[in-house]
Amino acid sequence: MLRRRAWLAGGAAFAALPAIARADSGWPAQPIRLIVPFAPGGTTDLAARLVGQGLSARLGQPLIVENKPGAGATLGSAQVAQAVPDGLTLVVSNIASHGIAPSLYRELRYDALRDFTHVALLIETPSVFVAHPRFPPEDLGGVVRRSREQPQGIDIASSGAGSSNHLLIVQFGQVTGARVNHVPYRGAGPAMTDVIADVVPMMSDSLPSASGHLRGGAVRGLAVATAARHPAFPALPTFREQGVDLVSNSWFGISGPAGLPQAVTERLNREINAVLAEPATQRRFAELGGLISPLSPAAYAEFIAREVARWAPVVQASGARVE
Amino acid sequence: MKINAKDVASGVLLILLAAVGLWLNMDHTLGSARRMGPGYMPMLVFWVQLGLGTLVLVLGLFSGPDPLERWKGIDWTMLILAVVAGTLVWQVSPMFGEFFSSTYNGVGLGMLVGFLVICYALGWRLLGFICAAMCIFALLLEKGGLMLALAATILISAMAEPEHRARPIGVLGLMIFLLAMCWWIFIKQLDIRVAVWPMQY
Amino acid sequence: MDIIGNLAHGFAVAFSFQNLLFALIGALIGTAIGVLPGIGPVATISLLLPITFGQPATTAIIMLAGIYYGAQYGGSTTAILLNLPGEISSVVTTLEGYKMARNGRAGAALATSALGSFFAGSVATVVVAASGPLLTSIALSFGPADYFSLMLLGLIISAVLAQGSIIKSIGMVVLGVGLGLVGTDVQTGQQRFTFGIPELSDGISFVALAMGMFGIAEIILNLERPEARSVLKTKVDSLWLTKEEWKRATPSVLRGTVVGSILGILPGGGASLASFGSYMMERKMSKGRHMFGQGAIEGVAGPEAANNAAAQTSFIPLLTLGIPANAVMALMVGALIIQGIQPGPRMVEAQPDLFWGLIASMWIGNVMLLVINLPMIGMWVKLLQVPYKFLYPAILVFCCIGSYSVNNNVFDVYSTVVFAVLGYMFNKMKMEPAPLLIGFVLGPMMEEHLRRAMLLSRGDVMVFVERPISASMLAIAAVALLAMMLPNLRKGKEAALSG
Repeated sequence: MLRRRAWLAGGAAFAALPAIARADSGWPAQPIRLIVPFAPGGTTDLAARLVGQGLSARLGQPLIVENKPGAGATLGSAQVAQAVPDGLTLVVSNIASHGIAPSLYRELRYDALRDFTHVALLIETPSVFVAHPRFPPEDLGGVVRRSREQPQGIDIASSGAGSSNHLLIVQFGQVTGARVNHVPYRGAGPAMTDVIADVVPMMSDSLPSASGHLRGGAVRGLAVATAARHPAFPALPTFREQGVDLVSNSWFGISGPAGLPQAVTERLNREINAVLAEPATQRRFAELGGLISPLSPAAYAEFIAREVARWAPVVQASGARVE
Repeated sequence: MKINAKDVASGVLLILLAAVGLWLNMDHTLGSARRMGPGYMPMLVFWVQLGLGTLVLVLGLFSGPDPLERWKGIDWTMLILAVVAGTLVWQVSPMFGEFFSSTYNGVGLGMLVGFLVICYALGWRLLGFICAAMCIFALLLEKGGLMLALAATILISAMAEPEHRARPIGVLGLMIFLLAMCWWIFIKQLDIRVAVWPMQY
Repeated sequence: MDIIGNLAHGFAVAFSFQNLLFALIGALIGTAIGVLPGIGPVATISLLLPITFGQPATTAIIMLAGIYYGAQYGGSTTAILLNLPGEISSVVTTLEGYKMARNGRAGAALATSALGSFFAGSVATVVVAASGPLLTSIALSFGPADYFSLMLLGLIISAVLAQGSIIKSIGMVVLGVGLGLVGTDVQTGQQRFTFGIPELSDGISFVALAMGMFGIAEIILNLERPEARSVLKTKVDSLWLTKEEWKRATPSVLRGTVVGSILGILPGGGASLASFGSYMMERKMSKGRHMFGQGAIEGVAGPEAANNAAAQTSFIPLLTLGIPANAVMALMVGALIIQGIQPGPRMVEAQPDLFWGLIASMWIGNVMLLVINLPMIGMWVKLLQVPYKFLYPAILVFCCIGSYSVNNNVFDVYSTVVFAVLGYMFNKMKMEPAPLLIGFVLGPMMEEHLRRAMLLSRGDVMVFVERPISASMLAIAAVALLAMMLPNLRKGKEAALSG
């Protein structure tokens, strides 16, 4: 009953195996390991497993998801940075390990750009500001005014110090001059509990984990950090609409060690984007609250370079630093 | 005055660990009561521990007698030798190949050597063989594969039991049985992510 | 609310052939992985998640829930037989359960655990069905200050887990809290006491600590005392409970069920307090309290019941708020989201099949576990008759693989070795590891709540006494501390005078 390998190989892969895949060059001759640098069960893990299933069907080799959590997703990423670039070891690169960690960690064991071949972006999920339903301010302007009236500023919860949601709070304070008091939690779940219980009035969360509570009315949305309104929440205004020029997405994609053969990179990128284009994947990802944004390998590398540059000053301002 | 040596030793251990903790904690900012820094809670905890350790030590001076097991000369000698040998091997291990300079393989080799050396003293033998058996598992697993690592672990752990040393055939049977069972449970059924045979990854 | 009608509907859903089958599969897998040290429900559920993509949501969640309680049952088995606790709740089970096994009462201990868990699980299922939404308000009324005081109370009463001097065991609790501080500081992200080792940035692994200090240290100690091994081998009395044991265990199960049902509702740490809260209660209140430390059946019955009741009621925050109380619950949320269902307050109305079907299947799952586990007791006890010289390499091998597979990292195997040496040393000095382990688990939570409470109250300490919940917890803690210290000090003084 637990023969994962068996039904991956038998059921899913070979039945759907396209004939061209076999006609291609030797790669992949062996199963591919996809390292997820997070504990099982999170959005990233789920999405990686979804894409992994589709990808293994297209490549004709089982794709095995391996969780290697630790040290803010940098442990698993460091492992892949040192792996042989044969296209058989890949990692889920993400905003924590490849966007924020380069400025957050003083001694990172890899370079987010030079030590990897970036292959494809999978999904972007926006951040959102939510508040307890009885919290008086109706919009961001109200939040800023209230924060100035209160002697100690306004408490805003986040899922953890150094997370993109925390940094959005810092940016919000910088841009608007609001006096914010960051209250970190160990994960989004406990933080959300305290917002629902009105222990903390506001929270910066990612849309997938907040969407159920928003729909159920347990919390009220104040602003979403997308460029345009999110299709799933058309009534929720963006930061920009409210005069705060902030766009903040958390994202993840797939990367391999530096020096991946170009043919492999291109083939992977093609197949991943094809998986992303399948209606079944689109539907699942929409349920997860994310936006699919296919990019070419070069565009994804540029995207990561932009992210690294973007977060450096924010991390500096937040005062968070991991020695 | 009846000394409870076990309590005195416990008190000393608590005090020592608290002192080390307080010393390491000097790196961390204390912060204020409102916005406690990373060093605030450790400071409280280690001071309380220091106090409790002292209390245990002082009470231990009167609540005995409860002596610790006697250490023979050889126990001391081998303990020191093992620590020296282990540290030495750990430090020079990168010379044996690239394998030992990556991750924890160098430390692991040092621990293995240390635990094997200490087995020379009868008093340490059981501890030494059991711990060495675990170390060799960790050392062999990633390059040597699960089967080789398990075989080595079973072999070394069996050394702890005198009856096994007298009749090695039983160990062989046990090894075959355990290898088959572990393969069936962990590879066939649970499919844990690990190399099964040498040089698989 | 028409509970009977809803429950009937739930049973109709759960009794479909497919759902029954998957509840059975889940319970079987859960039991199997619970028995294997180090391999927990989190890893297994995440492995099985992809299968659930293709199943109906109700079936998927029923199977995953089955794994969750199956693992709880299985974990108690190794705790009783081999002194190998897989998680914090089974640490308590080792205390009396392993002693019972060594007295030849392994069968009775396992039976008590299975029956007590079944009873508590059944009661807790009714609690979830009848008043789940109502009880949510309890979870929401606990603020950071209240949690801090609850954790502090927990730490203080955990000192009674030890057999020896209270001061020494409080010392062990504090040492455990200190070990729990290793890792990333939640508030600032700074690394503390990690020596630059990235593997330590998420803290010391609980599995490595528990496995080393209990399981491996116990192997070495057993090898040292050949006489203890033969006791383990020869003395296996009847498998079933005696009349006397029934009489002693029943009130403990009842008390444990109440304690567990209440604590399980509190997200973040409530459930981990349940089993040793019950142990403490039994040790102070039960008729067999003088037998604690030598294998008292009350010390198995109460905590096992509490643990299972808490496992059930910890579904309440998930089902009514959509907030997972632990890592397994987080995986369940993931599985539901993949199915397009957002757990939360609207789930009861929006997905009545799922909600009531799950509740009915909780009970069915408990029946199945009882059916699976009772006949297996004989087999487990036979395991103890395997000569120890063949048994110990097997335990060791399972521990090696188990500790590795938690994070797929050999670092955890080496840490297990270090804690085995430490555990061995502690035993020689009569320092008990159980309070240390509880300090290790509760300490970090206590720090988190303390700092958050101070941050939100702007540094005002009065918040701990102004809030009624917090104030009463602190009062109980103070009374408990005094009650424990007084006889101990007096005894110490007598010893000093007579010496």
